[in-house]
Amino acid sequence: MTGMKGRGAVQAIFALTFAITAALILTPLASLLYGSFRSAGPGQPSVFTLRNWMDLGSAAIGNTLVTTCFISAVTALASTAGGAAMAWLIYRTNFRFKRSMVASVGLSFFFPGFILAMAWVILGSPGGIFNDILEEWFGIAWLKFDIYSVGGIVWIQILHIIPFAFFTLRGPLIAMDSSLEEAAYASGATPWQVVCRVTVPLMLFPMLSALLLCFVLSVEQFAIPAMVGIPGHVNTLATELYLLTSFSPPNTGLAAAVGLSMSAVTGLTIFAQRRVMHRRGAPTVSGKGYRVRPLNLGKWRGVANAVSLFYVAMAFIIPTLALIYTSAIKFFVANPFEAAYTWRNYLQIWNSPGMMRAFWNTIFVAGGGAFLGLILGTLIAYSTHRLKPRGHRTLDILASLPFGIPGIVIGLGFLWSYVYLPIYGTLWVLVFCYMARFLPYATETIGAQIVQLDKVLEEAAWASGANRIQSFRRVILPLLRPALQSGYFLLFIAYFREIAAAALIYTASTQVLSISIWAFFENANWGVASALSIVTTIMTVALMAVVARASLRL
Amino acid sequence: MGIVVRDLVKRYGDKTIIDRISFEIGEGELVSLLGPSGCGKTTTLRCIAGLETPEEGFIAIDGTVVFDSSAGIMIEPYHRDIGMVFQSYAIWPHLTVFENVAFPLRIRRDRDVDKRVMRALEMVGLAAFRDRSSQQLSGGQQQRVAVARAIVHAPAVLLFDEPLSNLDAKLRDQTRAEIRKLQRELNVSTVYVTHDQAEALSLSDRILVMRDGAIRQQGTPVQVYGTPVDTFVADVVGPANFLPLTDAAQLRSVGPVPSGPCVAMIRPDRIVIGSGGDNQLSGTVRQRLYLGGHYEYLVAVGPALLRVLSSVTVAEGETMTLSFAAADCIILAQEETPTWA
Repeated sequence: MTGMKGRGAVQAIFALTFAITAALILTPLASLLYGSFRSAGPGQPSVFTLRNWMDLGSAAIGNTLVTTCFISAVTALASTAGGAAMAWLIYRTNFRFKRSMVASVGLSFFFPGFILAMAWVILGSPGGIFNDILEEWFGIAWLKFDIYSVGGIVWIQILHIIPFAFFTLRGPLIAMDSSLEEAAYASGATPWQVVCRVTVPLMLFPMLSALLLCFVLSVEQFAIPAMVGIPGHVNTLATELYLLTSFSPPNTGLAAAVGLSMSAVTGLTIFAQRRVMHRRGAPTVSGKGYRVRPLNLGKWRGVANAVSLFYVAMAFIIPTLALIYTSAIKFFVANPFEAAYTWRNYLQIWNSPGMMRAFWNTIFVAGGGAFLGLILGTLIAYSTHRLKPRGHRTLDILASLPFGIPGIVIGLGFLWSYVYLPIYGTLWVLVFCYMARFLPYATETIGAQIVQLDKVLEEAAWASGANRIQSFRRVILPLLRPALQSGYFLLFIAYFREIAAAALIYTASTQVLSISIWAFFENANWGVASALSIVTTIMTVALMAVVARASLRL
Repeated sequence: MGIVVRDLVKRYGDKTIIDRISFEIGEGELVSLLGPSGCGKTTTLRCIAGLETPEEGFIAIDGTVVFDSSAGIMIEPYHRDIGMVFQSYAIWPHLTVFENVAFPLRIRRDRDVDKRVMRALEMVGLAAFRDRSSQQLSGGQQQRVAVARAIVHAPAVLLFDEPLSNLDAKLRDQTRAEIRKLQRELNVSTVYVTHDQAEALSLSDRILVMRDGAIRQQGTPVQVYGTPVDTFVADVVGPANFLPLTDAAQLRSVGPVPSGPCVAMIRPDRIVIGSGGDNQLSGTVRQRLYLGGHYEYLVAVGPALLRVLSSVTVAEGETMTLSFAAADCIILAQEETPTWA
């Protein structure tokens, strides 16, 4: 039976895809569940216990939970409001700097959270640049602030998450049928009334969805609370989990219970967000390409410009300048006129053998790992959207699970499992961990494109004599190329800058650049940490440019 | 032997799309599957192509069994010797015109790719477009590329899935003639799915009229048009008037007369205004539409409305005499109300 050959190969590939996905996602989760019932850490003799789950009820954990929820709720509300306001300003008004604003927000989007946090420590710690300058130059001591606080965490997280809210909301806003707003103007509504009575109500579901996603991003945020929260004795669930695991006496069992509870919070939020999205999006364009008449800001234009500039300055420009400054001085001095300038931080990067190893490790993990992640994501997306064999729904659910699992929790899951696996102590731990954590990035990007491709294009290839493998290679893959490129880029960036998932599982020999920067910073070596941040940021931007140019040429 | 289909059954869930149909298509014959949407014609074609897997039945292409439920045979589409033209053309946007057409040859690692592609492109009149990006083509040109791609590897059978439905009326008529010419030249067994009766009548050696997954009638265009077996077929293959009769002997007709309630089926172009035919009726003009060259009249005859095409001028509201020959009057069993009035 010649027909079964092609089918058999497809079934084998699906089975393999399913097995790898299940192993990647379920191994850490199952290990966590196991670990949460053990009396001692992984690899040590232990017995079954309920102690960890009972300890969840302690006052310390309870306080941390309240703090985390407070921080995340404020962050989510402010980021969503900020992102929505920015989208409205850019796509509904005659705001003058639309293009440069979109570009700046895009840059801030790719600015890693841990580098932003580092810059704000340099700026806003008690002896930091801002505070020093406020007091010494202007004598306004009452404006001084301490970044090592709940407010500090919220502030940096808002700056970090606003671009996400903006990019989530601008799609629905652009797609919204502008005639609905025009009808309100025609009925005599003032611009403010139109915003309150038409635009916002119509955008309610997208905004609610963005709010929930921002909440999840904030709950799972690790680098920011770790850098500014731990010194200030403010703990979130993510940092609590880190402290429980990394400092003696370690309590990895309790950490596992904390991690699972945390995943329950984020997982349920994501579930709610999915329900919201299914309920209704904004009413979309009926096909006519009319642009809504931009609202004249009039005298408010100056205010809009000032607020926008303030955001870009706070989220990108000033932090970058602070890092450049810190990277170029011998010892940290807040006043740039008193500093001793030097190249030695950059030279130290170049001359340190450890750095070279971190660099090559990063290339392996981010460059190669992202490639593996992309292949797996493509196979999953193709299976769930096109092949739809028995079990494709289960695969879909498996692949979207990491959406609801914080990075540090996945890291902890791998910590609980890798001891028993042959990958222990190798870079593959990081690769597999990142593949699991960022799997939805790949499946969503590729899946969106596959849905766009008419099924007939593939059928025509079959009718022309191409078997499933041939038609996939010659028709589907070339048509997916733009999505594959942007997917690879997205994964590369994500793998490149990840700290949360790696914080618990890296070893001296598997150190990557993001962890190196963090480690230098934690050791109070701000100069090298800043220099390394600058170098990696330039590398990332250069890579972005190369990829953007390569995709343009196609 | 072109195509043999026997006892084909296709279900989606508990809905039966194809209800045990059988037919054969001879060497070099062009057969249309004609019917309204949802009648199962496209599904039948996709079963022949192997894009759908039937529940039951037997399909052979050019003497090779490609599907046999009782023997557990299901040959994948890519191992069937077919060429197919899709309704949306399915031209691959990442390939040039030449590479789109060359695809079946490249897959089969055939020789003379250049020569054979050019021959196919010449046949559809697109030789000058070989290096164009397929995204720069009009709908009509895309359709031709799709045809060239389907014939380039000289398949045993050609399958067309409503290939003209996305073209405008003028281009449709022209392309229809070209497809017929091409098919004759290649002398390849062809299945042509359409819901357009004019397309089916003008192109086909034979027409299979389908409804609800079953074949209601098969025959040459002249047979199905001239002597439909029931009112459904009469209505699908062309414009038809249905005149309810209390007694089949009311009118002079040829052919068998069914028992029970019946209607007379007369084509609008076969009715003449004025007396003189085998049958005469009198009616009142309810509406007159000028179509350029002739009028379309809606004439009330008793409770029925008849459509009449004529160049004779009669005012609305006037009475007229209609006549038609016994040979043009087909008596059919009354099943349902005519769809057009």
